[in-house]
Amino acid sequence: MVILREGICPGVNEEFIKALQSEDIKTVEDFVSCNPEELAQKCSLSYKALVAVRRVLLAQYTAFPVSGADLYEELLSSTAILSTGNPSLDKLLDSGLYTGEITELAGSPGSGKTQVCFSVAVNISHQLKQTVFYIDTKGGMCANRLLQMLQSKTPNMEEQMEALQKIKVLRVFDVFSLLACLQNLRSNGLQKASVGGGSVKALMVDSVSAVLSSMLGGKQNEGMSLLMQVAGELKMIAKDFNIAVLVTNHVTKDGNGHLKAGLGQSWSHGPRTRVLLQRIEGAGTSSLRTATLTKSSRQACHLVEGFDLCHWSEERRTSISGKRKLEERSKP
Amino acid sequence: MHRTVPSLPLAPSVKVKLINAGFQVASDLIDMRPLQLCKEVGISQQEAVEVLQMLRDDGQPHQQRAATESLTALDLLHQEQALGSIVTFCSALDDALGGGLPVGKTTEICGAPGVGKTQLCMQLAVDVQIPVCFGGLGGKALYIDTEGSFLVQRVADMAEAAVQHCTLLAEDTEQRQALEELTVEKILSNIFLVRCHDYVELLAEVYLLPDFLSEHPEVRLVVIDSIAFPFRHDFEDLSQRTRLLNGLAQQLIQLATQHSVAVVLTNQMTTRVSNGQSKLVPALGESWGHAATQRLILHWEGLRRLASLYKSPSQMEATIQYQITVQGFRDAPDEPRPTPATSAVSSPSGNHSKHPRMEDRS
Repeated sequence: MVILREGICPGVNEEFIKALQSEDIKTVEDFVSCNPEELAQKCSLSYKALVAVRRVLLAQYTAFPVSGADLYEELLSSTAILSTGNPSLDKLLDSGLYTGEITELAGSPGSGKTQVCFSVAVNISHQLKQTVFYIDTKGGMCANRLLQMLQSKTPNMEEQMEALQKIKVLRVFDVFSLLACLQNLRSNGLQKASVGGGSVKALMVDSVSAVLSSMLGGKQNEGMSLLMQVAGELKMIAKDFNIAVLVTNHVTKDGNGHLKAGLGQSWSHGPRTRVLLQRIEGAGTSSLRTATLTKSSRQACHLVEGFDLCHWSEERRTSISGKRKLEERSKP
Repeated sequence: MHRTVPSLPLAPSVKVKLINAGFQVASDLIDMRPLQLCKEVGISQQEAVEVLQMLRDDGQPHQQRAATESLTALDLLHQEQALGSIVTFCSALDDALGGGLPVGKTTEICGAPGVGKTQLCMQLAVDVQIPVCFGGLGGKALYIDTEGSFLVQRVADMAEAAVQHCTLLAEDTEQRQALEELTVEKILSNIFLVRCHDYVELLAEVYLLPDFLSEHPEVRLVVIDSIAFPFRHDFEDLSQRTRLLNGLAQQLIQLATQHSVAVVLTNQMTTRVSNGQSKLVPALGESWGHAATQRLILHWEGLRRLASLYKSPSQMEATIQYQITVQGFRDAPDEPRPTPATSAVSSPSGNHSKHPRMEDRS
């Protein structure tokens, strides 16, 4: 919505605006949706002037229609798939994180969401040599851990430092700062980062529920609006800049006591792919986890893959099915 | 300015009026005068002034930088190495935590009554003051007590033990000089104690913390013992409780990051019944589990006290054994059954102990 102001186009001066305001027309939308004949009768403005201004405003502010074929070509040429570095997770995500989409990881505390984000960030910055933006809302970002992961991938100090420099961390702790941060990234932050060398291919937000859950519910009426704004910003960033967005979410229990991702139904339309991380029952304090695909537009849902947080790049020969397989792995 | 009006931190009623008047982006508003805004939008003069003030503050260079400034992970690494951690005097726990309790993060300590949460908190309040030349942080501590379990006599005993420990370690002149200033009185005077009686006082205290920490930049530790107690009693609306706790958690992690303090929270345990079995789990609900950066669960196994690192962004999960002695929180002895001669377990001030100590049993 654009407000009608003087000088917005030739022919719009103060009298013009005052006359329109008396008819309760304040924005461009209101103006172009009115019939110029009726308007000419109600205000003291000439029909010709109204039609001329209308034509200019329509030319300036309408969106261009794009044909489906062009859109498809564009999608083919601009979408990239970023491997997560873990073969099981890649299989689950249909070969990796897609740019232009939001992927969500949900899980209970200690299920490994932050670790997965770290592993993916390290893989993208080291293996794929692209810049990653990491928005941390919980204080979970630990550069030491990133260094540890890099050290296990390469003993070369320079490579490690280079990879660390490609991960950019932003720390925000409430929803308004998050929105400010995202809007800033959209308007100039991402372009600046790409100019410096190395394109930005991934954005991670850990976690999006930490800042939103205190705003939802009760007598607060702003929570849903803020949630949709965050979803909107993330989608716009993903689409406009061809970035893969990875967010983490907490879990709640549904009516039957099963785990489901938090933030409700409205948020669930934001991410294109949703994965639920869980610890393996009875495995004690091990680093094995299962990932369940709960929403996907490309694969059948409820696919389950198991993986080990400690051995990120190793392939698990079999998916989780019984203790015997676990014992096989622990053999030397 | 690229902020959209719906994303600004203003009251919802004001935002609705602004949007109805046609303002969509913050840059539309920035050139308006208060009176003009007042007339066009239909808000009161004071609200108009507040809106413009907020936009002006937002446009300040340092605020913008906070939202846009991104550190590379490399810078963050240097920062983290400079921040350090607080030792607990239990070397097994320090190893599991990667050197001690990290500064700049929130740690939650959960445990059943009598397992040693308050003891650990008091130990940390003493340990944060160990001088830098001994490998400590040389900082002060803020202790927010909601249960009334802070005992000065116990802290004095721990402080004395810590001073003795440092005296034994002192090697060069710098350390000896620092030791002269390290007395029990000094240690006690560097712990700021706040007593909160209900959750409203606790919320108010946390709200006032940023100013307090700006005035006392040497504070390196904030302990809230316990955060569960005021929220578990007389709270009817559980969803409101969850919201308040989430908001509190975010405020605390913001404090921890911006003022470089370690925040320690103590939580209680509750029983969860599932499939006919009961299990002790941390209190305050599922979503509270996401709130702290690190989670340490203290529990009993027979007569032994164990600490499990349950959730951490940088450390692997581990379980270690510890014990509480006259000197405070310490490593468990290597012998499987501590005899009365080797373990000096007792409650020094002779007050009622929540769990029978080992001496009584043997």
